[in-house]
Amino acid sequence: MIGQTPERAAVVDVGGDRMTLLAERAAYWERTRTLLIADPHFGKAAAFRAAGVPVPRGTTTGSLTRLDAALSRTGASRIVFLGDFLHAREGREAETTRVVAEWRRRNASIEMVLVRGNHDKHAGDPGPDIDIRSVDAPLAEPPFVFTHKPAVSDEGYVICGHVHPAARLTGPGRETVRLPCFWARPGTMVLPAFGEFTGVAEIDAEPGDRVWVIAEGAVVNVSGV
Amino acid sequence: MQPCVRCSDPIDRWFASRGWTPFAFQCEVWDAYRSGESGLVHAATGTGKTLAAWGGPLAEWMSSVTSHAQKPRRDRTPPLRVLWITPLRALAADTEEALRQPLDELGIPWSLESRTGDTSAAVRARQRRRLPTALITTPESLALLLARNDAPDIFTDLRLVVVDEWHELMGTKRGVLVELALARLRFHQPSVRTWGLSATIGNLGDAADALLGVRQDRPPRIVRGVDPKDVVIDALIPPVIERFPWAGHLGTPMVPQVVAALEEAASAIVFTNTRSQTETWYQAILSARPDWAGAIALHHGSLDRKRREWVENGLRTGKLRCVVATSSLDLGVDFSPVDRVLQVGSPKGVARLLQRAGRSGHRPGATSRVTCAPTNALELVEVAAARDGVEQGLLEARLPMERPLDVLAQHVVTVALGGGFVAEELLGEVRSTRAYASLTDAEWAWVLEFLTSGGDALRAYPEYARITLVGGRYVVTNDEIARRHRMSIGTIVGDAQIGVAYLRGGSLGSVEESFVARLKPGDRFVFAGTPLEFVRVRDMKAWVRRAPNGKGAVPRWAGSRLPMSGQLAELLRARFGEAGRGVVRGPEMAALQPLFAVQRKWSHIPAPDELLIEQVKSREGWHLFVYPFEGRLVHEGLSALCAYRLARHAPITFSMASNDYGFELVSPTEPPIAAALEGQLFSPDNLVEDIQAALNATEMARRQFRELARVAGLVFPGFPRAGKTARQLQMSSSLFFDVLRQYDPGNLLLSQAAREVLERQLESTRLGATLRRLFQSRVIVRHPKRVTPFGFPLVVDRNREKVSSELLADRIRRMQLALEKAAG
Repeated sequence: MIGQTPERAAVVDVGGDRMTLLAERAAYWERTRTLLIADPHFGKAAAFRAAGVPVPRGTTTGSLTRLDAALSRTGASRIVFLGDFLHAREGREAETTRVVAEWRRRNASIEMVLVRGNHDKHAGDPGPDIDIRSVDAPLAEPPFVFTHKPAVSDEGYVICGHVHPAARLTGPGRETVRLPCFWARPGTMVLPAFGEFTGVAEIDAEPGDRVWVIAEGAVVNVSGV
Repeated sequence: MQPCVRCSDPIDRWFASRGWTPFAFQCEVWDAYRSGESGLVHAATGTGKTLAAWGGPLAEWMSSVTSHAQKPRRDRTPPLRVLWITPLRALAADTEEALRQPLDELGIPWSLESRTGDTSAAVRARQRRRLPTALITTPESLALLLARNDAPDIFTDLRLVVVDEWHELMGTKRGVLVELALARLRFHQPSVRTWGLSATIGNLGDAADALLGVRQDRPPRIVRGVDPKDVVIDALIPPVIERFPWAGHLGTPMVPQVVAALEEAASAIVFTNTRSQTETWYQAILSARPDWAGAIALHHGSLDRKRREWVENGLRTGKLRCVVATSSLDLGVDFSPVDRVLQVGSPKGVARLLQRAGRSGHRPGATSRVTCAPTNALELVEVAAARDGVEQGLLEARLPMERPLDVLAQHVVTVALGGGFVAEELLGEVRSTRAYASLTDAEWAWVLEFLTSGGDALRAYPEYARITLVGGRYVVTNDEIARRHRMSIGTIVGDAQIGVAYLRGGSLGSVEESFVARLKPGDRFVFAGTPLEFVRVRDMKAWVRRAPNGKGAVPRWAGSRLPMSGQLAELLRARFGEAGRGVVRGPEMAALQPLFAVQRKWSHIPAPDELLIEQVKSREGWHLFVYPFEGRLVHEGLSALCAYRLARHAPITFSMASNDYGFELVSPTEPPIAAALEGQLFSPDNLVEDIQAALNATEMARRQFRELARVAGLVFPGFPRAGKTARQLQMSSSLFFDVLRQYDPGNLLLSQAAREVLERQLESTRLGATLRRLFQSRVIVRHPKRVTPFGFPLVVDRNREKVSSELLADRIRRMQLALEKAAG
């Protein structure tokens, strides 16, 4: 039996507002036309290469291509990065900076803000070639509070990253699959890691959590809630 | 055992002084060694092979030394002359003891030491300054020696390399590492002789070529050791076969008979096929004979080293009357042979059974005997078939590996560290090994690119290089890379193991992390023969305390259950053919007559040129049983292939199960078997494409890639004292796999992973041969009303796979999120 066309996005209610979860591994806040991106880790592959590990080139461009796709699909006018923009100080090599700066110039009309995460503290803010305003967490924009690491806040519903969440699904027989996901709990939602060369960590979902996995270009609700 | 008249060696005199006579084969090896030859000695364990290899260099020393001074000072012992390679660090101590005895008794002033992963830092430091005259070491530690910057200087006096248990290493990546290392030793010291010690296997010529390389200037000497006069293979027959289970792996209904056999013996080994079975059987024997507590023990590879040594000692000194063990006791120097050897479940191979039989009997040359205890009824046929194999001398071959590039990449870095190399010269050296004799120029170029610029021939990576060209030689210039390489040398990749220790102190061994992950505090399990209660996990250890009673789960290890060998499969089919014709030969087949009568009445017993297919309809749905009798791995591939090809005729979903005898497909609707048979269900054409489509080839390659990523140095193990940098560089091989597939699809490691999946996980050569055989067989289809004795074990097998061509998104709609259990 052929299934329905997979959904490339899911529209959900969080914190009392509507959010669109995208298969590009981002979330779109329609009301303010803001695209939310967690954990891009630009320059991670370069950092590995500098340490002698042969990761192929192309991951930064790959991430940015996907980011462009999310921008054009949503028509967003603003991006808020939820931490770990640059992977490491060594990632500030000329090539990574050049590629990201060029992308920034092509999207000059879009406002961009970075809520600092742990990697940004080591790597330093993106330099002047990459025109992005950096602020410390939390960034409150009612009804939401944007942070890098998960938290619960009185000021609003927290949207964050850092975890690089993946959900494990099991089926009959020994069928099992692990997929990056969006993970919504009371008070907090964790976005999947955006970067092309980021790993994932399995989440401990509890009954009542809402989870959407990203599978081959589709966003699927697996929580039954 | 004729005395050796040609030997007027000091060795011969030493033998005489102890009242021994050397065997003819030992003399042959000593003579060959003296003439500068290299070769291979093959025989069952504990039959004097060690002395055959050791005697040569000892005699050489004694005849070259004119004066016998008293034992010189420690730092004046002769430089390295003999390297003794052993596959398991656990064997090093045994080997050391066996080698030391003649040294002491002959007054030879050599130092003899081991160097393995277990060697202390202090000893390593001393060996760094000066190597002993004879060094016992593992393949990994040998690679470390070759990675020393002074490697070109330390082998000038090397006379002999011995590779012990070569049949164990052959056909594995560690064996390939040894092949490359031996080639390098020959480069450093061209006159070194190489001798392999091996069990008897089906392809000794390959074994010799792999050991000695393909550029030998004379044919290798292959010497046969002493073999037992007589080998007896028998089985414990269940008293009432009608009540004996048709399915099962544990075999515990046979415990009373096994215990009766053990009662008659002063010493015995009970071999099982899995570590879990060992634990279960140990408990079962102890329950039956609690008075044997302290006199029986268990032994397997996941136990703590001290425990294993205690058991090995107990067996040697006679303190233990019985040890329940896995193949961990298949290897080993000279344990005293035991009175009785028992095998629980089918040994799955003729050579393996023979080797285990060789552990029994008091003297080399006396009768060897192994008694098999079946775990289900049909296993009795396997025992009979194995006996046929022993009688006909049909031993399995160990297939050598072909050109694994991940091992080559690791070796090239080792050589770059150990003195550096000129590309053309190293290529010649590498091509002198059997494994890489057909290495293409393109593959060599790829490996060099991979190590110098990360593998992209078109663009330079200035910031990356593991080896660099300096003055025409490739060397390693980066200290961090050198350090990391030395720490991660090796090829063994297992599932994550976690140590098990008592809260009050004392380590038991290790179990797989996945087993511990499912435990909650208070859960009981049995391990190392002891009932335990799980307390907590902390610091990468599972902490436990003794539990009062024996109930609890037995850990399962994911190490693959060995499938039946091709040789045994063929012998099995012949035996079933006899049963089908009503021929009754031997006690096992006689005992099985009632079961055969049922199979014949409800269905059919196939001849070797027939393929039996059974279709049964039940409440569960439609069952399709196919019996190629070719071994589990081949059946797993075949079942997926058949499911895939059947599904091309009509939309249908199958759940599948396989074992060594056949496979089963279950579907909610009737499968179009007649149409599929006419449409070439078993055609060998398009095998590779269909199999890759049928199985999730990408997922399998991803799992296989784990090993390659580790060996080739893309990912590193977690080092206990790793600094922050090392932790930041930890990346899962799965992620690497994804990134490579997307951004570097021409990467040869990817194609190697795909190839290894086909060959090792699917045994694709054997699969292809099986398909050709089935294609030419007469297909017999039966429709029994109930599941037959042949089919029953498949039906109760809980390990079912599914074949599906649905979109991932549709599949996961049916699946469930794994939830954390509510705390409390």
